[in-house]
Amino acid sequence: MLGLFKGMGITLKNMTKPKVTLGYPHEPIKMPDRFRGIQHFDPEKCIVCNQCARICPTNCISLTGKKHPDPNKRGKIINTYDINFEICILCDLCTEVCPTEAIIMTNRYELATYSREALLKDMKWLHANDQMIRQDNISSKPKRGGK
Amino acid sequence: MDWYIFVYPVILLAIVLVFVMYAIYFERKVIGWIQLRKGPTETGPKGLFQSAADVFKLLIKEDIIPSKADRPLFKLAPILAYVPAFSVLAVIPFTDAPYLKFSNVAVGLMYYLALSSITVMGVLLGGWASNNKYSLLGGMRAGAQMISYEIPLVLSVVGVVMSAGSLNLTEIVETQIAGAWNVFPQFLGFVVFIIAAIAELNRTPFDLPEAESELVAGYHTEYTGFRFAFFMLAEYTYVFAMASLITILFFGGWDAPFGLTFIPPLVWFILKFCCFVFLLFWLRATFPRLRGDQLMEFAWKGLLPLAIINIFVSALLKEVPFLSQYF
Amino acid sequence: MLRTEEMVLNLGPQHPSMHGVLRLVVKIDGEIIREIEPVVGYLHRGTEKLAEDLNYTQIIPYTDRLDYLSSMTNNYVVCHATETLMGLEIPEKAEYLRVIVMEMNRVASHLLWLGTFLLDVGALTPFLYCFRDREQILSMFNELCGARLTYNYMRVGGVKWDAPAGWLDKVKNFADYMINEIQNYHELISGNEIFLQRTKGIGVITKEMALSYSLSGANIRCTGIDWDLRKKQPYSVYDRFDFKVPLGKTGDLLDKYHCRMDEMVEAMKIVKQAVEGFPEGGATMGKVPRVLRVPEGEVYVGVESPRGELGCHIVSKGKDKPWRIKFRRPSFYNLQVAKELLVGQNIANLVAILGSIDIVLGEVDG
Ligand code: SF4
Ligand code: SF4
Repeated sequence: MLGLFKGMGITLKNMTKPKVTLGYPHEPIKMPDRFRGIQHFDPEKCIVCNQCARICPTNCISLTGKKHPDPNKRGKIINTYDINFEICILCDLCTEVCPTEAIIMTNRYELATYSREALLKDMKWLHANDQMIRQDNISSKPKRGGK
Repeated sequence: MDWYIFVYPVILLAIVLVFVMYAIYFERKVIGWIQLRKGPTETGPKGLFQSAADVFKLLIKEDIIPSKADRPLFKLAPILAYVPAFSVLAVIPFTDAPYLKFSNVAVGLMYYLALSSITVMGVLLGGWASNNKYSLLGGMRAGAQMISYEIPLVLSVVGVVMSAGSLNLTEIVETQIAGAWNVFPQFLGFVVFIIAAIAELNRTPFDLPEAESELVAGYHTEYTGFRFAFFMLAEYTYVFAMASLITILFFGGWDAPFGLTFIPPLVWFILKFCCFVFLLFWLRATFPRLRGDQLMEFAWKGLLPLAIINIFVSALLKEVPFLSQYF
Repeated sequence: MLRTEEMVLNLGPQHPSMHGVLRLVVKIDGEIIREIEPVVGYLHRGTEKLAEDLNYTQIIPYTDRLDYLSSMTNNYVVCHATETLMGLEIPEKAEYLRVIVMEMNRVASHLLWLGTFLLDVGALTPFLYCFRDREQILSMFNELCGARLTYNYMRVGGVKWDAPAGWLDKVKNFADYMINEIQNYHELISGNEIFLQRTKGIGVITKEMALSYSLSGANIRCTGIDWDLRKKQPYSVYDRFDFKVPLGKTGDLLDKYHCRMDEMVEAMKIVKQAVEGFPEGGATMGKVPRVLRVPEGEVYVGVESPRGELGCHIVSKGKDKPWRIKFRRPSFYNLQVAKELLVGQNIANLVAILGSIDIVLGEVDG
């Protein structure tokens, strides 16, 4: 019988303890800096190396480049850049391989929408998504050759 | 025939409905607090309208009857479950004031116990008529459980009846006011009664008929909308009735302890009543569920002998010179 | 005797206590189970087949989703297999971080098991307490690697992130807190007579059964067989830590419960030792070629996941992608014993026994 009452004591004690739940939709949850949220994309920095699209395990990045408008410069600039958030698993690999940090994680996590189309984010949208960008990116590059 | 015979039941029904709504709210809050949550907070200030919103939602929901269900019985079941639950309230005296007694039946306790056992038929029918295997299992469990626990429940109050010498609930309270609250002399009876009462109410740790992790929702798995609401209503009306009955049988009804008579009797009643309701929620938040066979064993091998012992002990002590004033 | 008919009951794939999408076709006589047929595969995503088309780094996020309650061990097993085949050397710091996160993940996973198991036997509240504590682990992981469930934290050759400032102190405080908190759990649950009634002598696994079904994890340790890969085939830096392997005696649900509870305490002790011995400097990634080409060969490694022996078998043909990869998924093996355990029990025991095996359907179905 004792065990039953002991348990009741524990539950009663917990009744007055501070609550641990959060008032989520009313108070936004602050994520730590390293949080992997919806990416921010900076077309200026992108060198169209295609590494992000190649590493992406779910093949959700599709990008096209075009010739640099300035004929004196070599290389390409980005033309379109889409991420399909229906299948993006926010795994962080694209931001890890990007040599110029053109694609970078933010702390934004709210992705719910009413239609599938709305989950296809294009370059403009990703570029405008420039709040709460992750600061701690340098160390995200795997250190090759022991630093 | 006085006019209030018709008006009072309507008022009582309203009170019961409000009680049910706020009992559910209170339950969710208490269990929330115990589980370190806040409970309902969204609808209305502090979530006070949450239950009202839930009831409203149930009422406007589509009424679905499974196509293979036994239609007349399916419709009858919730009514059969609820009507006795409400009618037993007629004999409960809430205070000593005459206007709060609906009917002062000489065999009030008997009436209560007899009527309340009709509900099990509603539950059984609901489980049977749904034509769902989980419902059937839930209904069978409920049938077995409620019938088994009825016996210790009835036997445990025999001691109380003997000491009061009456089956009238008002008289039972009055003898307690004159003597001592029945919890003390009838402690064994009280323990048996409270356990059997919780089992009768199908609440944790005896909530087998609705065991969510086993039977989805038990006998009301197939019920939706207002029919489901009626089952819930019946359940919580029984909480109301059982809490009142315990207050009356064992805690002296509206009697004020320690001579604190400046607090009105009705308030005392409500206070004692709330303690029991809280106990139910508290148990629900703490205990796991018993298994079917253990439940039966407990009723027949544990509670029943205890209840019988209680009767004999009460009868014996009634003859002991000094103690007889309490028995 | 009255002739009664048996009833076929379909438990799941949608059922409150199926822990996912397991389906059990049971034939019941009253409430007693006469026959039972588990049906798996509702969550099959073909991870192994998909992995044949992915390079080694890309496989890691897929393993997060196998046993989604202990992604860290899944991450580890595929990295460990690849590293073994490549003969890579892992910096000490990375190994320590790996051990810390794997043991914390073990606690998180056991906490979730504890909560859902008690939910199965009908107690509501411990579930929420378990989640309160698990939440702390998840937020620490969130700080470390940016995700709460699908960590994708380890890489072939090391780990992705070093511990952020102050993180190790938090981990240590949590370990102290948790060792203390387990006492509260014991007080709330272990002495509860109803709980004892529901678990003592129920679902007994014998030693022979455990061996013939190739069980692992708490399911074999509860029978008294001392089998823990962290001790038997030490990997990573486990040989540096001092910890016990809790064993049961009878193999019933209560023993399994105690095994897992004690395992949590031991895991926290390992975490504490790892934090104390944490190497100051050093890299978190070893020397890894830019493109991971794994030399031709085969390897099998097994690690002790919260559910048992999690194995990874890689066959490489020298490409940057595995030719064949196979996971030994402990939940799948442990589930096989259910059929034998459940026949003759009643529905209430079915739920409890199934809960005690601790399956994760993501892992069962691969
Ligand atoms: S986060 Fe992962 S899944 Fe998403 S786009 Fe980047 S690489 Fe692809
Ligand atoms: S990896 Fe970076 S630079 Fe290369 S294409 Fe992707 S976003 Fe552009």
